[in-house]
Amino acid sequence: MKNWQEVLNLIEKFHIYSSTEVTFTALDALSQIFHESSSFSEAFKNAEEFLKRLFSLRPTSVMTLNVMSSLLSGLENLARNFTSLKDVVDELDTRISFLTKEISSKTSTVAALGARRVREGDKLLTCSYSRTVKAMFSKLKEEGKDVHVYVTESRPGGEGVALAKELGKMSFPVELIVDSAVRFYMKDINIVVVGAEAIAANGAVVNKVGTSLIALAAHEARVRTFVLASTHKFSPETVFGELVRLPVIKDTGLLPGLERYSDLNVAVPLFDVTPPRHIDAIVTDKGVVAPEAVILLVKELYGWPPASIEPLSIIRKLAQVSARGDSQ
Amino acid sequence: MEIPSEVLRIAEDIKTMRIRGAGRIARASAYALKLAAQQYKGCKNTKEFIKYMNSVAEILGSTRPTAVSLHNSLRFILSRIEKEESFAQIVEKAISAADEFMDSSINAEQRIGELGSNLLEDGDTVLTHCNSSAALSVIKTAYKKGNKLEVYATETRPKFQGLISYQDLKNAGVPVTLIPDSAVRFFMREVDKVVVGADTVTANGAVVNKVGTSLIALAAHEARVRFYVAAETYKFSPATVLGELVNIEERPPEEILSNESFEYVRARNPAFDITPSEYIDAIITEKGVIPPKAAIMILMEEYGASLKEEIIRITLDMEDSTYPLAQI
Repeated sequence: MKNWQEVLNLIEKFHIYSSTEVTFTALDALSQIFHESSSFSEAFKNAEEFLKRLFSLRPTSVMTLNVMSSLLSGLENLARNFTSLKDVVDELDTRISFLTKEISSKTSTVAALGARRVREGDKLLTCSYSRTVKAMFSKLKEEGKDVHVYVTESRPGGEGVALAKELGKMSFPVELIVDSAVRFYMKDINIVVVGAEAIAANGAVVNKVGTSLIALAAHEARVRTFVLASTHKFSPETVFGELVRLPVIKDTGLLPGLERYSDLNVAVPLFDVTPPRHIDAIVTDKGVVAPEAVILLVKELYGWPPASIEPLSIIRKLAQVSARGDSQ
Repeated sequence: MEIPSEVLRIAEDIKTMRIRGAGRIARASAYALKLAAQQYKGCKNTKEFIKYMNSVAEILGSTRPTAVSLHNSLRFILSRIEKEESFAQIVEKAISAADEFMDSSINAEQRIGELGSNLLEDGDTVLTHCNSSAALSVIKTAYKKGNKLEVYATETRPKFQGLISYQDLKNAGVPVTLIPDSAVRFFMREVDKVVVGADTVTANGAVVNKVGTSLIALAAHEARVRFYVAAETYKFSPATVLGELVNIEERPPEEILSNESFEYVRARNPAFDITPSEYIDAIITEKGVIPPKAAIMILMEEYGASLKEEIIRITLDMEDSTYPLAQI
């Protein structure tokens, strides 16, 4: 198992790209921090440092934020009863295993619903590396639906190449294309399927940069675009007008082939925003909905108005409560 | 019929790509036709001379069958000697037509820069794609005139021609930022104008250029950003007036994927795509800035006479066919 610094490094370098995978890995790392700490203060100090850096590396990963919030706020209610660090570790592990199962189950629901929108013989286009999209292809394989798939390289990062190979290994016919060739091939495509990093209250989808170009080209060609996203990806914060912050990197580290030109003046955004008008439907674990109807699901999940979530402030509170544990 | 050895050598150099680039091969073939006229040793009658010049042109043309600029250079000269009556005049005309073509080609880029620079304004942010010396001429000329400009250059996968543009602009002192191709829509809201080059301009005003151009044009159109194409008139394709389609070259997949990846994945690598005229605000030629749909005006002016003849020939072929019009 990798320690939390290594995990952050992998996320920074985009070796872990899928936000679902980021969430899983982060949960593991958090558990490990508590397992390996010898005091409350050490555990909470490292946990706070880890989460702070995680959220600054992936400010867009609403799933990580939501899952961490739900994990920590559950812990907060029990904090006063903890007498030893072992109590915390046990409770944390129980909750993490519950959340991991919940995420997997939601992903399966989304994948299965998404697969129902795909017909035998369809030509699909996708980008980046989404675990949910991959799960949908597994489902299609299981159902014996033969489809053809085009995958963009998805620079920066280029993680589309990895997805293309994995879909190829599942014996789908796969064509890898450069990000620029999306409009050239759109006339051959029936359905665009992408994952999501975050869904805003107005139904806008934050996903790997280039997604909004693909959705635009699909819209122009009257090709349907579906976004696969479990309700963990909904961002209740955006109801209050909060913007999802989109990081722009200023070096060539994520541009394979150009890494050695370290003095180039580059601007490399990692995510972009696809407006709801270019999305036909969002496939969620609660069903297939129009992007504009996402607000209804937010209301159902988080109440109205949704409570603000702040995992970092929760962990600071937890640290205060547990500091007493160390002094006992 | 004896063809001068120097002419054959030029043909060979074009074929082996020792001479390359749209402008250079066009000028080299014009020069070869000029030499052929100067060194003509056959009967001193116009019919013989035209036959001779046509066979030289055929040799030159066969070196690069799909290069529009080369064929236009030959067409430019041949169409100007068809009407001459006396032998002395026809040789003179061939030589002066070749000179005219070479001069105008050399001046074209500069002239395009001059005319196009009027379209850019102080404070503009300009986006360009791939590496077009005509497009860069527009940007650099505008910058030299004292307009403060900022440029976004796309990296242009798979061959990274964007790096050449980046370096060229940097050397000229123009502030330039390299961005991934997928980030075009992300940055489009900061862009005032897009300037790109062209490989071929068709009769209906569509532009064939490096793959990704049409996607950029679409994103510019969506954002109401002006989209300009810088193209010498010898890039306009007279064959498209006669209904011919432009052949889109598909390049080797190894440019995208490393060899060991091909076990599971194929790669498709079209070199060009087609931007429809409705996404183009103007084409900047050395003869003037024209609306794209007026491409036919340039084509008629440059190649009108020979096009008219070819249409007559096509019509006669039709009338000679097994199903004469009268019976249809």
